[in-house]
Amino acid sequence: MNQAMSAIIKKDLRSITANRRFFISLLIVPLVLALFLASIFVLTAYFAPEDPDIQAMLELLPQGTLTDDPGLALLHLIFNYILPVFFLIIPIMASSIMAASSFVGEKEKHTLETLFYAPLSLDQIFRSKVLASFLLSMAVSLLSFLGMFLVIEAEIFFLMGSFLVPGPNWLVMLALLSPSVSLMAVTLIVKGSARAQSMEESQQSAVFLILPLLLLIVGQVSGLMLVSPWILLILSLICIGIAWILLKRAVKGFAYERLLG
Amino acid sequence: MDTILLDHLSKTYPGGKQALKGISLSLGEGEVFGFLGPNGAGKTTTVKLLTGILSPTQGHCQVMGTDPSREPEKTHAKTGVVTEHAQMYDHLTGLENLLFYASIFGISPREGKDRAMALLSRLGLEKSAQQKLSAYSTGMRQRLSLARALIHRPRVLFLDEPTSGLDPESAQQVNSLIKNLAAEKGVTIFLCTHQLRYAQELCTRYGLLEEGSLLALGTLEELQKKVLQRPILQITARQFPEDLSFKRTGDLCYETEISSEEEIPGLLRRILEAGGKLYAAQTKYPTLEDIYFSLTSKKEEEP
Repeated sequence: MNQAMSAIIKKDLRSITANRRFFISLLIVPLVLALFLASIFVLTAYFAPEDPDIQAMLELLPQGTLTDDPGLALLHLIFNYILPVFFLIIPIMASSIMAASSFVGEKEKHTLETLFYAPLSLDQIFRSKVLASFLLSMAVSLLSFLGMFLVIEAEIFFLMGSFLVPGPNWLVMLALLSPSVSLMAVTLIVKGSARAQSMEESQQSAVFLILPLLLLIVGQVSGLMLVSPWILLILSLICIGIAWILLKRAVKGFAYERLLG
Repeated sequence: MDTILLDHLSKTYPGGKQALKGISLSLGEGEVFGFLGPNGAGKTTTVKLLTGILSPTQGHCQVMGTDPSREPEKTHAKTGVVTEHAQMYDHLTGLENLLFYASIFGISPREGKDRAMALLSRLGLEKSAQQKLSAYSTGMRQRLSLARALIHRPRVLFLDEPTSGLDPESAQQVNSLIKNLAAEKGVTIFLCTHQLRYAQELCTRYGLLEEGSLLALGTLEELQKKVLQRPILQITARQFPEDLSFKRTGDLCYETEISSEEEIPGLLRRILEAGGKLYAAQTKYPTLEDIYFSLTSKKEEEP
């Protein structure tokens, strides 16, 4: 990555913080999923650990992962098998608005043509746009994890006098699966943005493109979580490969003329 | 080596509109070339072809030895472009905008700031450097666009209507900067405008364009010869001798075409010797406007 690409990335990230409405909407998904919903789970586990449905779910867990305390066992299930799945949704939702506006936003403000007069190839401009949204998604993801971790541990400590240790699923999710799925989604949304004629069109196509993909992955991953972190690891490597191919091929057929038209 | 070369350059848009029809011309270093014609004549299309934003349908072009459609990045590193559609970021200040474009061209932050401040000062924008672009007037935006196009010290500058929306004082600042760039730094200027009087103040050579075709190419003198328009001697006098073949254009005002300035002393002597009272005499040469209209009317007359 050269100086010009990092300048575009910095400028794009700055435009997010400069737009208050945009910034607030960016925080809603992580606040709801990582803090609010996670706290509800902790309170449910504390107040209703003996519920028969919850007991039936606990029996599905691999043996040896459970403790004697049903409340803590339930929290272990939630913390290591359910909450990591949120970290597929949070980064994509957080970066989707920025990714959707990446090209078409500049086109509507007449700044895209100026950017095209820079000594950068279309491929470099595209990659800068993808990287800006991807970095945002990862920053939101990591901050959400830290926020969630601190809040949940504090809640568990005060309610039950104990702590939860993150399992290997978290490592695979935060370091590999979540970044690779985010990169795939961001690449597809930015590509859609380059072809869109208006912001509305870009945002709509982002939703139609990403939601089914997200639901498919979330559905599969929540099951795979229970099987083994190794399967998650293999899935992550496959996703990294797909993301790399998508990024390499995304600018095929791009031309200044068509992007400005 | 020619700085800019157009060789039978044509462009037809996907809808079928032929915007440019086989244009050929070449420019040398430090030339201020006026590419003139009405709106829709093909000026902006030419700039887009020369900067690699569009690809030609036929023919080819070169800028500083580089084919823009094949190596647009290389072309952009050597050129600066000001067009109506190339805007900057409203949420950044004037200075921040310039620093962003400086970093895109690989200029260090320190050097970028020095260059930006010098350009802002030269274009009368130093007091607005810390203002967000959203607070800039049209004229200020236009001047900042010129500063942006110059931040990487390009060897070729493409200007598409650079003074539209500028007040006379700002236009003078812009003109002085353009003249200085060409004369002292050897920058080649490709100026597109439909304001013929403005072009005549600034340019050293002209290309007159209509509906994608080049009507004429050359210096003002060459164009004057091309349209066979001769200078006009305008006289303000009382008791004007009737035997002289002057056309009366108003109260005490007379004019006639002359073939050269050498005729003037003889004509004035005849007026005085015949008892005429001479108040004023001046020679009017055909302006770009006269030449342009003469060329377009000739074209219309052609079958």
